[in-house]
Amino acid sequence: MNLSVQLGRLHLKNPILVASGTFGYAREMEGVVDFGTLGGIIPKTITRQPRQGNEPPRTVETASGMLNAIGLDNDGIDYFLANHLPYLKSLPTAIIANVAGKSEDEFLELAGIIGRHEGLAALELNLSCPNVSGGIDFATDPALTYRVVKKARDVCPLPIIAKLTPNVTDIVPIAQAAHDAGADAVSLVNTFIGMAIDWRRRRPVLGNVTGGLSGPAIKPLALRLVWQVARHVDIPVIGIGGIANIDDVMEFLLAGASAVQLGTVNFYDPTASVRISGELPEALDVLGATSVAEIIGSLEWRM
Amino acid sequence: MFIHSQFEIVENVLLARDTYRLRLHAPDVARSIRPGQFVMLRLPGTSDPLLGRPFALYDVAFDNRQQPAFLDIVYLVVGKLTGALAALRPGDSLIVWGPLGNGFPAIACPHLALVAGGIGQTPFLACIKAVLGKQSYGGLQSKQTVDKVTLCYGVRRAEFLAGVDDFRAAGAEVFVATDDGSAGFHGFVTDLVEQLPRPDRLIGCGPEPMMHRLALLAKEWAIPCHLSLESPMACGAGICFSCVTKVRTESGWDFRRVCVDGPVFDAAALVFED
Ligand SMILES: Cc1cc2nc3c(=O)[nH]c(=O)nc-3n(C[C@H](O)[C@H](O)[C@H](O)COP(=O)(O)OP(=O)(O)OC[C@H]3O[C@@H](n4cnc5c(N)ncnc54)[C@H](O)[C@@H]3O)c2cc1C
Ligand SMILES: Cc1cc2nc3c(=O)[nH]c(=O)nc-3n(C[C@H](O)[C@H](O)[C@H](O)COP(=O)(O)O)c2cc1C
Ligand code: FES
Repeated sequence: MNLSVQLGRLHLKNPILVASGTFGYAREMEGVVDFGTLGGIIPKTITRQPRQGNEPPRTVETASGMLNAIGLDNDGIDYFLANHLPYLKSLPTAIIANVAGKSEDEFLELAGIIGRHEGLAALELNLSCPNVSGGIDFATDPALTYRVVKKARDVCPLPIIAKLTPNVTDIVPIAQAAHDAGADAVSLVNTFIGMAIDWRRRRPVLGNVTGGLSGPAIKPLALRLVWQVARHVDIPVIGIGGIANIDDVMEFLLAGASAVQLGTVNFYDPTASVRISGELPEALDVLGATSVAEIIGSLEWRM
Repeated sequence: MFIHSQFEIVENVLLARDTYRLRLHAPDVARSIRPGQFVMLRLPGTSDPLLGRPFALYDVAFDNRQQPAFLDIVYLVVGKLTGALAALRPGDSLIVWGPLGNGFPAIACPHLALVAGGIGQTPFLACIKAVLGKQSYGGLQSKQTVDKVTLCYGVRRAEFLAGVDDFRAAGAEVFVATDDGSAGFHGFVTDLVEQLPRPDRLIGCGPEPMMHRLALLAKEWAIPCHLSLESPMACGAGICFSCVTKVRTESGWDFRRVCVDGPVFDAAALVFED
């Protein structure tokens, strides 16, 4: 069984990744998750300066999912490099750094810094965090997406992944812009913007009023976006959204994803990633496949 | 490092109004968990509710070979998961992950006062047994480090009082307060605390206003005080950054995760909202 996948210049030993912001800095899961069974780990988004993040409550459960407005709470890139990177690099799996800039220049600076560090497998650009007040949602605009990806590509020798938002009318031109600017892959999707209200108190539930919806509730939406981008844009896609078991993974691979990221499931089923990666060979076997590569985008349909 | 597994329920008994004690056969967790730590609970075979819910260690019970084997949780029915828990029977299973959180610090002093508001009483039974040297937890040697423990326990009405006999049997002197005067002191538990002889240390767990008041009292009395917070959580394991609270730092304050940096904090380090 060949579980490895190739996404542009990025090679992964298997397609099961854990998503940024849903796996902390990996250390929290030491001894719980056998990191070597994962295709890769994407630590929480790093920003240039430390950010305190949003006021609690930061998350609330909704039907088959949750809303979050963490607000990119992190200690900044200097702290990340000094305190998290050495540990992450020691793990037996690919580490993909995820960064978010407030401006094009900040993205450039972050990409440059990450690019100077050994031991990372790729850089994921979080072009789409919905919870940062005053921040620009770069991935709502093809031209902005193009410029940020291009700049990152120019200063960072690592494979570049553009993480896109689903909160747009048409995601295809944005994925196309990422491709044109030289991205190795796009990852989709980030969370769908939503809201929860406590009517008895006449208040929004979240401190930030709105938040991003994730979990099983968004899977059909994410699956459709992955399918659409995979058909229309010549770029490897990493599928994200509500993936909770091996069936979900297979559905995303067939829809055209070359790899997947597990997010919210890590919160409520902390060993799901290990179990799912273990179940992959058997699922491939059901389709008579001997590699992951041969089933990517192999969905058959008539329209 | 924590365990994530499915364990069988061996008891689920009513202690007081809407309040139950659940006993799980969970030897792996029972062996390592310490007072002040917690576990996450989730129903198997359903995704409603989706996320796990945090519950403090009430106590560890032993099997007939005197090995730690059972995990006791005391819960108040307030919503989805706790409502479903109340309907479970011996033989049913639950998904558990833990032990989680920092637990109580080492405490050595003549007189320790514990202050509980409502279901905030749950972390205190194991704490009392540990400091009075009645039981060992987490494989540590049991040793008495406190001469006297007082528990001040406040509830809305007498019918919500749960586990008072357990606390007394463990060796604590228990004072009760009720909002309506239906048992013990009529009023807030913090007002009751103020009327008692001043202890050497305080630990509190309960609603935010109670904890705030306790933090101020400890400052006034110039005694150390630890508080166990009950912030809503999504993962319990430090990976989601939902459960944060404001903690003082050299340069002001920063949000810290209650599930990994807490749930027990030095009251003097916490920033309370007015
Ligand atoms: C470290 C820790 C230890 C805890 N230990 C215990 C314990 O030993 N026994 C016990 O009964 N409870 C304990 N709790 C609280 C317990 O986790 C909640 O009562 C539980 O999550 C409720 O779940 P539910 O699905 O029944 O309620 P839901 O359906 O989720 O919610 C019902 C209502 O309660 C509110 N709510 C839910 N969780 C909280 C919370 N943490 N704080 C304030 N309001 C909340 C919701 O907003 C809603 O209005 C602890 C919490 C923490 C953080
Ligand atoms: C609590 C939480 C925090 C998140 N933080 C980040 C983040 O820091 N950076 C990022 O790129 N995505 C972040 N995400 C989005 C996830 O990586 C993922 O794209 C999204 O949750 C959809 O996948 P899921 O349904 O499997 O969770 C976060 C999601 C959640 C639920
Ligand atoms: S509950 Fe997820 S970080 Fe604390």
